[in-house]
Parts: sequence; structure tokens; C-alpha cells
Amino acid sequence: MERYQQADLEAPAILVSALSPALLRFFRSQSATPGQAEDLLQDTWLRIHRVRHTYRPGEPVLPWIYAIARRVRIDGYRRSRRINNHETVMEVLPERHAESEPRHALPVFEALVAALPEAQREVITMLKVGGLSLEEVARATSSTAGAVKQKAHRGYDRLRKLLRGYAEAAEGAQ
Amino acid sequence: MNCQDINQAIVEASPLPPEAEEHLRTCARCRELAEILNVPVPADLPSPTVLREIERGLVAELRPVRPIAPKRYIWASFLAIFVVIASLGVYHIGAFAIAVKTPLQMSAILAALAIGAGLLAYSLMNQMVPGSRHRFPPGRLPIIIVISLIIAIAILFPFQHERHFWAKAWACIRTGTPIGAIAAVPLWLVLRRGAILSPIMTGAATGLLASLAGTTALEIHCPNLDASHILVSHLGVAVLGAVAGLVVGWAVENRN
Repeated sequence: MERYQQADLEAPAILVSALSPALLRFFRSQSATPGQAEDLLQDTWLRIHRVRHTYRPGEPVLPWIYAIARRVRIDGYRRSRRINNHETVMEVLPERHAESEPRHALPVFEALVAALPEAQREVITMLKVGGLSLEEVARATSSTAGAVKQKAHRGYDRLRKLLRGYAEAAEGAQ
Repeated sequence: MNCQDINQAIVEASPLPPEAEEHLRTCARCRELAEILNVPVPADLPSPTVLREIERGLVAELRPVRPIAPKRYIWASFLAIFVVIASLGVYHIGAFAIAVKTPLQMSAILAALAIGAGLLAYSLMNQMVPGSRHRFPPGRLPIIIVISLIIAIAILFPFQHERHFWAKAWACIRTGTPIGAIAAVPLWLVLRRGAILSPIMTGAATGLLASLAGTTALEIHCPNLDASHILVSHLGVAVLGAVAGLVVGWAVENRN
């Protein structure tokens, strides 16, 4: 990151290749389609480039990157909502069932967290997918470690309830 | 060990202790949760074209940048703006309250305002740099500060019935608001060096900090000791400033 600030020509490629997969995964876990996720990824790097002077050498990079990515996602969501509000649905396409897994298998992480409220989903995704610590998630979400911990606890409690519902549905289907 | 303890271990990303095994054997939900979380999430790879496009874009506009100033300088800048504008305000409108207020009232209210300004400056300093550590939730801080000031004023000053309440209140609001508006300009000049990710939150905090300079000047200027007057017209200036900052932030956020 420091080399990037000093305009080292190799630094952008190293940063982009190292961080983009995790960022893309973060956007995908936040209910973005693959196309939207790539758009958000590009927007994130543009914004990172614009505000690269705000990174302080020696500080952790991941919370800085994720704080920007999180903001890009919120802005992207608002933008798409505005556009959707102005568009008229001409034809409703049949819903695609994403999960083609066997009934008795456990749902995948992504499908499970999709059912969580936004704040809990964001925290759990950063912890699990991004590999951030509690303190880093707190920094990325402009929150306190205590608040993040509480959201994660509530999120895991909710995941348990979802798993219970999933198990009951599977038993009912048998 | 119970489900909450398992949560705790998962949240803190610590390896599950041996006692957890016992619980996992008996609790199907915890076992399933642990299984799902133990499965590594496969990496999503962006298309090489997208990556190349991003890299090309970044390299094309690559210039050396100087990292933002250390935190203490930014914090000191915010406080200096607050003190200088409040002092210039008092110099301009006069310090008539010093002769009327008791030393306890004067020192306590100025200390409360200074603490509020210090906390807001600290919060703004962190809001300028993404990924900063926030010791106080930045969204709630302005509300907490306003509530604390209401309590401090209600304790320090008596509630009296006074005539022409609204006329006097309006006179103070008209005096304090321009001081806050003037303070907002240099605060914005400092803020624009950073990356404001949440304009609404930052707008409210900046508006409150700027208008607290007006409130401070009014506390030194206005000899009216009625708590209702101080709450409505002195603290009212601060609340108006916070609301104005919030509206500006909202406009900025919706423009993006």
C-alpha cells in the first residue's frame, strides 16, 4: 500500500490481484449478481485510488479497504434501487432456483447468510469470508468491537434458527 | 458449555475448546453451524479482463501522494478552529455573562461544551480516514452530546418564568447561528482532505461541532440564566447546526 502511494508501477497489480477475490466474494455474499459484483469491484478500486492518500502507513490495510468497499456497496445498492424505482417491469421472468443440492444436505454458507438482516450478514461475511478480526470489522464498519460482537452473536443465533427451520422442512418433506 | 459459549468461540475465531465437543455431540444446531462455518468458502475469481482493466486504470493515473496528516494534527486543527471562532465570536458580541454566572456555572458549562467539542473533533478525525478505530459510535455521538448538554444545563441553571421568551430566544439564535456557520467553513476545508464515506453522519457531527462554537460564544455572551432560554436558544443553535449538517450530508449522499 505504501508503494502504491509512492506511485510504484508494480504496486497496483499486486494489490488488485491479492485483494480482488476477497472483495468480489464480499459483494457476492451481499446479494449482488456476478455482474453487479464486478461493477462494484471496479467502483471500489476507483474509489480506493481517489482516496489512497488517506491510508496511513503502518495501519491495518484490510479495514481501510473494506470500509471503502462497504460504502461502495451501499451507494451501489441505493443507485440500483433508484433505477429500479424508475423502471417498469414489462415481463416477469420465472425465478431461478439457485440451489440444486440434495434436500438433506446442509445449506451452503452463502445461501444461509443471505437470509440474515443486512447488518448481521455484513459482519458475519467480513469475519468468515474476509477473514477480518472483530477489531478489524469494527474499524471497517465505523463501529465498536462490542457492537460487532453483539451483531455476530445475534447473527449466529439466527443462523441456528434457520438451520432448525431447514431441518424441520427436510423432515416434513420425507 | 452452551450455545452462547459456542457463539463466543466462533465470534472470536478461537479454536473450540475440548468442552465444546461435548456440547456439539448433544446440540444438532451448533454442530451444523460449526460444520457450515468450517467449510472453506471457495474464492470467487474476477474475470481476467476486469482485473486488467482495473490495473490499467490505476496505473494510468498513478501519481505519488502524501499520506494524510497524523491524527493529532487533525484533532488539533478541529479544536483550534472551534476555539478561535468561539473567541472571535465573544470578542465581537461581548462577554456579558461572566459577571452574572457563578464561577461554578461558567466553568461547568464551558467544560461540558469543551468535552463535547473534543469528542466530536475526535470522531470527525476518525471519520476522515476509512477503517479508523472508533471508541464511540460515531452515529450516536452527536445525540449523546446533545442529551448530556441538556442534562448539564438543567442541573446548572434554574428554570424561571420570563416575559418575551421567544423574542429573547430569537435574538440569541440570530447571534449564535452565524458564528456556527463561519466555523463550518474551515472545518469543511480540513474535512475535505480526508475520505468522507458517510456524508450524513459526518455532516451532522460537523454541523454540531461548528454550531457548538456559536453556543459557547452565547454562553459567555448572554446574561440570561433561565435554563429554558439556554436550552432553546443557546443549545438550539447547536441542534440547528447539526440538523443543517445532516441535511447537507443527505443531499451530498443522494447526489452520489
